[in-house]
Amino acid sequence: MKDSTRKFLKDYLYTLTYAVVLALCCSVLLTGAAHYTKPYQEKNKKAEKNRSILEVLGIPVESDASTDELVELFKQNVKQEQVGELPVYVYSPPEAAGKVKAVAVEFGGPGLWAPIKGFLSLDANMETIQGIVFHEQEETPGLGGDIVTPAFRGQFQGKKLVDAEGNPGIRIINKKDLADNEVAAISGATITCNKVQAMLNDVIQRILAEKQKNK
Amino acid sequence: MAENVPQPCPTCTTGGLCQGKGKQTLREGFWSNNPISIQILGICSALAVTNKLENSLVMGAALIFVCVGSNLLVSLLRTITPRRIRMIAEVAIIATFVILFDQFLKAFYWDMSKTLGPYVGLIITNCIVMGRAEAFALQNPPIVSMVDGFANGLGYAVVLAIIGFFRELLGSGMVLGVTVLSPDWYTPNQIMILAPGAFISLGFLVALFNCFNKKDEEDKKP
Repeated sequence: MKDSTRKFLKDYLYTLTYAVVLALCCSVLLTGAAHYTKPYQEKNKKAEKNRSILEVLGIPVESDASTDELVELFKQNVKQEQVGELPVYVYSPPEAAGKVKAVAVEFGGPGLWAPIKGFLSLDANMETIQGIVFHEQEETPGLGGDIVTPAFRGQFQGKKLVDAEGNPGIRIINKKDLADNEVAAISGATITCNKVQAMLNDVIQRILAEKQKNK
Repeated sequence: MAENVPQPCPTCTTGGLCQGKGKQTLREGFWSNNPISIQILGICSALAVTNKLENSLVMGAALIFVCVGSNLLVSLLRTITPRRIRMIAEVAIIATFVILFDQFLKAFYWDMSKTLGPYVGLIITNCIVMGRAEAFALQNPPIVSMVDGFANGLGYAVVLAIIGFFRELLGSGMVLGVTVLSPDWYTPNQIMILAPGAFISLGFLVALFNCFNKKDEEDKKP
């Protein structure tokens, strides 16, 4: 083997070894950090979900509540139950003595850019919408992203899951004189609105199907 | 690269480890060659996260941490790093420090992590960090590289803090979330917390820094 070839190979091998060792060191460090912080991070994520559920159920939450306070508040007021195959979060505060004040269900589906997830809260009979929150969305800020604004979300309050003729489904459209199952869409965010409408109707179908079974 | 003979330094006590360049390095990074106001580097995050003073402070702290850490490691490894892959090595080191900080925020300062969103992760691509590693840490010994990282991080942090302070004060009448300008007589100027406010305040600040830095201005003239 020529000397120059040998030197080339030696350099090459050294570079490769260096890269592998550096990458290994970095990944060991990061794995360690991820492992150490994982329980804290999961607790935060859970608390965040709890906050969304509390919010949609209309339970007052202080904006600077700590994760422990959120978990505690959630425990006191909310019970996780099943309606058939549908997991629901039932709001029955201790002072209401077993009376159900609201029921929340999770919904989700693809958005324009990334998955959208949220909670829909209904009255005890699961007929009327009481509130809606989106806890995961990456829609276009200023357009589709406006689904998180109180102005858009507030429209859902008091809307019915079925229209006047009894056909299931909520509709997000642009028109005057909105019916009991219709809310005004955001202009410039048609795709986001359609996708939100689709995922809401998906969960509404499931709710109605479970109710049908229980009759 | 020939190592200079360590000289005793009158202003610091590291026994010449910084080769007598400590004070000058600190001054350059922080003032006369400030990464934002003079070099106009890393302004993407400077514009994005400065709508509140608190965010600016955390972002500044993150950059100081990453700059010091990456400069130290890059400098320690500078003699054994193969030249051909030095940039990849730098990015790997920088990314490690950034992710460490991001994980720490996610675990212990969840709200802050949510507010800063992707901008902590984007420090990996911040030109200041890579720039200092490439331009300084590769040629200088560890201690003085750390000083350089700290100075540049501090330069960034202070500029961010100033912008954040004024944007929060004028935009929402608050400082660190405490109302200072009472809404009774002060109408918050919304534009300051929106994107244009960031450009306007950064522009003013750069102009101001350049006024003070006339010497630097003259150096730039051909």
